[in-house]
Amino acid sequence: MIEIRDLTKAYGERRVVDGLTFRVAAGRVTGFLGPNGAGKSTTLRMALGLDRPTSGTALVDGLPYARLTEPLRRVGALLDAQAVHGGRTAAGHLSWIAASHRLPARRVDEVLALVGLSDAAGRRIRTFSLGMRQRLGIAAALLGDPAALLLDEPVNGLDAEGIRWIRTLLRRLADEGRAVLVSSHLMAEMARTADHLVVIGRGRLLADTSTADFLAENGRRRVRVRAVDPAGLAALLAEAHPEAVPLGDGAWDVPDADPGELGALAASRRVVLIELSVTHDSLEEAFMRMTADAVEYRAVTA
Amino acid sequence: MSATTFPLRAEWAKFTTLRSLWTTPLLAVALSAGITAVVQFSYGKTDTSLTEDPMEGVFYGLNFGQVAVVCLGILLVGQEYASGTLATSLAAVPDRVRFFRGKLLLGAGLGLAVGVLSVAGQLAATEASVGLDLSAPGTARALAAGMLYHPLLLVLCLSLTTVLRNQTAALGLLSPMVFLGTTALSAIPGVRDVAQFLPDRAGLYAMRLHDAPDVHYGHTTGLLLAAAWTALAVAAGLRTLRRRDA
Repeated sequence: MIEIRDLTKAYGERRVVDGLTFRVAAGRVTGFLGPNGAGKSTTLRMALGLDRPTSGTALVDGLPYARLTEPLRRVGALLDAQAVHGGRTAAGHLSWIAASHRLPARRVDEVLALVGLSDAAGRRIRTFSLGMRQRLGIAAALLGDPAALLLDEPVNGLDAEGIRWIRTLLRRLADEGRAVLVSSHLMAEMARTADHLVVIGRGRLLADTSTADFLAENGRRRVRVRAVDPAGLAALLAEAHPEAVPLGDGAWDVPDADPGELGALAASRRVVLIELSVTHDSLEEAFMRMTADAVEYRAVTA
Repeated sequence: MSATTFPLRAEWAKFTTLRSLWTTPLLAVALSAGITAVVQFSYGKTDTSLTEDPMEGVFYGLNFGQVAVVCLGILLVGQEYASGTLATSLAAVPDRVRFFRGKLLLGAGLGLAVGVLSVAGQLAATEASVGLDLSAPGTARALAAGMLYHPLLLVLCLSLTTVLRNQTAALGLLSPMVFLGTTALSAIPGVRDVAQFLPDRAGLYAMRLHDAPDVHYGHTTGLLLAAAWTALAVAAGLRTLRRRDA
């Protein structure tokens, strides 16, 4: 299990990670979400002992990463799939990582097979696509058969088949009892993959919740309603739901309404409805709403 | 303590899986021995600058071979910064003292191997062409210094690259310093008094047979001077590695 406790990283006055606390539990996929520049990568780098926290701690099974005896057996990490030497072959790259822990050579073949790169084992990495590099990075993370995985944006550069593959893989790794943390800036993707969500913005914790709860709270329900007599409906909504928004074709969008109540209300006023449907906010919208104040770089709309 | 990681094994595997790394020491030996052979066979008996101090002729190729040694020292660390593999390396061996020790051991080992082989090659070429009196006073010392100069120079460059944390900067700083700078500086009378204390000048002086009147230290002290520079660089490299974020 990985435990982040009151973790802070400051560069001068700028706090990239600001008092972050959460845990990555075994047996589930935790999605680590935030807009670009939210501090996800810095958090992962501190968890791996690469960057020193300004304050706070990041512990793996109760110990700082640097004090683990065989770190690659505890934590497998993919930080940047491009951070490989293009002159090495895929097998060569994995073999030096394996050598650091005296892992058997067959382990290199095993993880290459696991990520579907067996045929490319002898090819130089510089000929690899980004998708292949992501697979190689995941292979490297799995080398030590670790109890926990930290993957930074592993979906980047993968095609549809690759994304489905990684979704299945993450599920399986969690089902095997591992703690899996996957960072992403894509809300919808994470909602499909993760059991639990940790959302940060500007280095601060915005949400730490199960995916189901997050969907229930943030996938805001809206009712779309249309009537035979648009004027009658407009009058009714003006009175009961002033927040309703006309959609142009005589239909109205009513946020946070209950379809049953709305239908009953229309019936009591003898307004004949020809459409009454429930939609949910897209998760991407919920995510943007949540992180709206925490987005670091935003284009200004003139 | 992460006592169950194997940094030297990892470093050796990194070295053997990258062609640009493992070809460099071979190039160093080939350059040193090859150029000495060409020069000795062509001018060894006629050029007085080569016969005046016989070691000048023996180690003629070393001036070129050391270029590859400097490059190897820079590459062993610099390619990790340039490619970004340092994060993976430190994730595998998080104890930075152990990590650096692995780098130093590999660097010193490779340097010594290059030193022994290239001195042997240069010696053989000299024996076969102009011949060399091995019993002459100072010869054994000069040859030993020639061998030891390689690991010292390699570890110096490796450590300074660790301080600079940048392969390009290291190449830009070290190559002109070792191959142009100190030679050029030594040509300026006033500066020469100071430049002779630089690591490569001191190390190369330890390989000479005869005393130079304007050098303020002895041959053995020259080698110790070079070693002191290397020790200083190692300390600075370790300090950088321990203090800075990777």
